Amino acid sequence: MPHMTAFARNQWYVAAYAHEVGRELLGRTVLGEPLVFYRTEDDGRPVALHDRCVHRRYPLSESGLDGDRIVCGYHGFTYDTTGACVYVPGQKRVPRTARVASYPVVEQDALIWVWIGDPALADPETIPRARHLDSPGWVTVSGMEPIDADYGLLVDNLLDLSHETYLHGGYIGTPEVAETPITTEVDEGAGIVRVSRHMDDAECPPFYAKSTGIKGRITRWQDIEYHAPCLYLLHSRIAPVGVVPEADGSDPNGFHTEITYAITPSADGKVYDFWMVSRDWATDDAEVTEFLRGNNHTVVMQDVDALNLLQKTLGTERTGYQELSINIDTGGLAARRILARLVEEGAKPMEKVQ
Amino acid sequence: MTSPTGEIYRIDWLPGTDVLHGTCHCGAEHSAEDPIEMWEWMLGHPEGHTQRDPNDPNDSRDRHAPHAPHAPQGNGS
Repeated sequence: MPHMTAFARNQWYVAAYAHEVGRELLGRTVLGEPLVFYRTEDDGRPVALHDRCVHRRYPLSESGLDGDRIVCGYHGFTYDTTGACVYVPGQKRVPRTARVASYPVVEQDALIWVWIGDPALADPETIPRARHLDSPGWVTVSGMEPIDADYGLLVDNLLDLSHETYLHGGYIGTPEVAETPITTEVDEGAGIVRVSRHMDDAECPPFYAKSTGIKGRITRWQDIEYHAPCLYLLHSRIAPVGVVPEADGSDPNGFHTEITYAITPSADGKVYDFWMVSRDWATDDAEVTEFLRGNNHTVVMQDVDALNLLQKTLGTERTGYQELSINIDTGGLAARRILARLVEEGAKPMEKVQ
Repeated sequence: MTSPTGEIYRIDWLPGTDVLHGTCHCGAEHSAEDPIEMWEWMLGHPEGHTQRDPNDPNDSRDRHAPHAPHAPQGNGS
């Protein structure tokens, strides 16, 4: 049994893109909890309920909607938006215990966030923002890939971008990524890890050369902001070498791309990899949009294949195998530690802080 | 997520070297060539976190009181 990163409860997680949740039932498993999502008929509000009928555990996501009620596809047990069972077949009395759990759910920044833990502690104000996903002037391509790997492996992957040079060479990786030192910052209370890598004079990878049209070498900045446990933001800036933002902070000659990931543990050894690439340049160029969509999908699948392989390989290791961490891992180690703290906090009863 | 506390830990990998330079939220600083050792020092706060006297140019102490060696953590799992 390879190492598995424990789940951090009492946290918000991205369960779906907003456009995925509608009048068709959608099943997703988050932190081992099977969930069903849909929108109400009148106000389009997202609803999240436990995805198992109380009767014989049939998946409600494989059932149907009658108005705002889910009718179990097996025997017709019917649930309202709060999870209360309002109808059972053949009898008038609905057993008092006939109820499935409902989950706090928030639609924000084109994402559907669900709270896994004690509902009384759910505070939507603590959901980290990714405004570029739903702001005028930005265009986003996105996708989601399930990976058969511990979610901690995806966190490791994203916090250490030196792997771009080797795993993603010819796409987003160039020699300078692995060669350039990083700066790591941890905001302990906020649970945020920041990792920055600023390359002053770097080769322009095809991902950016073909999309921006920049010829020659570039200044490339990668500023990661990981809001543990789920949201990962990579603020990417590229510009012709030597071109930096203006003294007033404006940056008319820089290309800004926001690369967003939602890292949502699904079950032990399984993670949803939600990926998004947003840009505020060439926004009406459909060719650029399709290029970035295809190219980034290829990059994500390189990670998916690598992590699937890594998880399988770790599964063959004896217990207590050794790793070796070096300077490139400074941010990843910080993220592991923050996650461990969140896991610990989520495992014990908490009082809501007013 | 909880609210920001302003407790910021920072580690700079010094360009052209293998040296990591850490700054604790208390202002204490430390250098190391191993991120695990660096995080152990950082998270050991306040143990071993002494600050240089900014008014004393002769105070060149390491700003890190020596502490007993301990078994590595994080390189095993």
